[in-house]
Amino acid sequence: MINPFCTPADHRLNRRAFLGAAALGGLATPAFAEALRKERRQVLFVWLDGGISQLESWDPKPNTIFGGPFRAIPTSVPGIHISELLPETAKQMHRLALVRSVCTQDNSHSAGVDRIQRGDPKNRGVVYPYLGSAMARWLGPGTSGLPPYIWVKPMNGGFIYKDAGFLGPKYGALALGDGKPPENLLRPAEISEVDDAERNELRELADKRYAEKRKADTTDANSYAFAMAAQLQKRVELFDLSKLPEKDRDRYGSHDLGRHLLLARRLLEEGVTFVKVTSYGWDTHGDNFNGHASLVPKFDKPFAAMIQDLADRGMLDNVLVIAMSEFGRTPRINGHLGRDHWPEAWSVCMGGRGIKPGVVAGKTNEKGTDVATEPHDIGHLFHTWFRALGVDPEKQKYYNATQPLPIAHEEMHPVKEVLA
Amino acid sequence: MKPPKERGKPIVPPCQVIRIRFSPDGKELAAACVDGVVRRWSVPDAKPLTELKGHDGWVTTLSYSPNGDLLSADSWGKLVRWSNEKVRWSIAAHDGWLRAVAIAKDRIATCGRDGYVREWTADGKKLHEAQFGVDLYSLVYSPDGVLIVGDLFGQIRVLDSHLKMLRKLEQKEFHLLDRIQDVGGVRCLAFSPDGKTIYAAGCQPKTGGFVQAFPLLVALDFATGKTLWSWKGANDNEGIVHDLRVFADGRLAAVTSGQPGQGKFLLFEPPTATPAFVSTKMPNCHSVDIHPDGKQIATSATNANSSGNGRVKGKAGEYPENSSPIQYWDIE
Repeated sequence: MINPFCTPADHRLNRRAFLGAAALGGLATPAFAEALRKERRQVLFVWLDGGISQLESWDPKPNTIFGGPFRAIPTSVPGIHISELLPETAKQMHRLALVRSVCTQDNSHSAGVDRIQRGDPKNRGVVYPYLGSAMARWLGPGTSGLPPYIWVKPMNGGFIYKDAGFLGPKYGALALGDGKPPENLLRPAEISEVDDAERNELRELADKRYAEKRKADTTDANSYAFAMAAQLQKRVELFDLSKLPEKDRDRYGSHDLGRHLLLARRLLEEGVTFVKVTSYGWDTHGDNFNGHASLVPKFDKPFAAMIQDLADRGMLDNVLVIAMSEFGRTPRINGHLGRDHWPEAWSVCMGGRGIKPGVVAGKTNEKGTDVATEPHDIGHLFHTWFRALGVDPEKQKYYNATQPLPIAHEEMHPVKEVLA
Repeated sequence: MKPPKERGKPIVPPCQVIRIRFSPDGKELAAACVDGVVRRWSVPDAKPLTELKGHDGWVTTLSYSPNGDLLSADSWGKLVRWSNEKVRWSIAAHDGWLRAVAIAKDRIATCGRDGYVREWTADGKKLHEAQFGVDLYSLVYSPDGVLIVGDLFGQIRVLDSHLKMLRKLEQKEFHLLDRIQDVGGVRCLAFSPDGKTIYAAGCQPKTGGFVQAFPLLVALDFATGKTLWSWKGANDNEGIVHDLRVFADGRLAAVTSGQPGQGKFLLFEPPTATPAFVSTKMPNCHSVDIHPDGKQIATSATNANSSGNGRVKGKAGEYPENSSPIQYWDIE
């Protein structure tokens, strides 16, 4: 009997396929490349680590006891208002959708980050992949020849295999610390091209011998990491933002988040499947309002620029954009004029591929303390994002060896109001 | 200095308070509240007086004029002059968060998050304005009418009578760029009674987010900008100096709020940099004022257990609001 679902082998990344795709991307005619581009399914995942306040962003409650000092402003969609700290994003609201009925479980960072980014499936005794690894699995590497899951972040980079969970290390993230390519990426000048090729040949031989007696996934991942490095070596110009027009750099900003979002745009333009951009420092237990007054505009400007640029390039048909944290922040203002962790009623912003633009799903009560409509957990959002990208969680399954596993929480469903 | 003594039970407003001020005749105390209301009580018997309504967002600051009129400002930019509990005038003074109000003989100055400093007549007509392109946190007139303004980046600008900048006193320790967050700022400014010393207060930040910070008070020679003395809290969880007032005899009163629940009420006898009195009884203090008789002080703090992740519940199972108990102190 033919298995109606995909099997692991159908989507397994391997070095040959990866390099083949790279060659295809490089040799395609412009018309063919454009046709390929139109087929792309990509994701930009902006992670505001620590927890952006929903009340100072997507779900303001001005002139209420927990509403804080800021005003709400109209957006490009009549009737939708967001915080005054997001004036540029407000102009892009006709391209975005908000879910204001997010209600999750964990109010600690350690549990929240993992749970949210893995989609909180039912406990099956396995570690589920992060969204980026899941998308690398379901959408594949595309034709860019670049790794399918790239994480642009402050501080250190490296190959973050743990994101992949049971999918195996090769679906892990290639993290670009401070938006820079991995260290030692370039062949040192003192090593000739011929010597380098010989070195790699020797390494491959050693890898092969090593792999003969070991699990394929681990050795594949090792080879894959080298293949990625080799491919990135040919594309180092991607990381040189100084060659971009000054106007672009001004629009995105010179701070980490601006630079990293601009790099993300380049990576998406090149066809990377999943780009995660992380900004740290959003855990505003103290001085929340001055903190958000400083932080949110540094998200607003480059995020709005990104949406505009994706729209101008016709890429919103391909790229699903998500901006979120591990939870929201308490309506109650603590004594240090901060807000603490609040998973009970918060918001997520999304747009692009498969998302109905200019809509709001769900709402919170007058004070913002509870979801007043159907609450939506992270499982609902995973269903929504898979659907938006054309992956049907009802039909597709993971296979952990021979164990079939649902790709999203089987008791949850998509937030239909935001699906195109 | 004999330590001040708490007098009576605190007044407990129904919400949090940003600023408290005594009227010049000493007969009332006003509080700027986060529900957009100015609440007042008689002094010393603490009877509630008519609430002043009409603000949006938070009432962020208060200042009494010498004739007893009250100026209140809010986080949506409105400035209101109240006379005998009636609105004498109300103007849209800034675009958004109006952070500070100062009063000179014939002028009123305001500054805000919009980067503007503006001067107004006593009737609310605009006299001058200047745009500095940064979040302006604090301002004060010297006894002879020179306006100084403090910003998020630890800069104190000395302005002329048309708000043109004469000079800038750099106090970089008041600012930190942590990741992408600008943290800190000159939160409070005051002059010594003789006008020779500027007091700048806020914090020396260590991180953003949580805002780990050492409270910081710096005394600067106004003529030279040279630091005369400074006080810094011992730990980075002590937080921020939120309010600073000067006695007629030159002593200083300050309050701090830190993390979690840290709060101090401090008295200084300049030029001694070590506080002459410290109370740590009150969590998260946000405002202090000195009664015109110089023998009473009021402080506003926060109720205990004001923080917590997730759905904290009140005694009746409700989701609780916090408040700011206001405590009177007697001082010799």
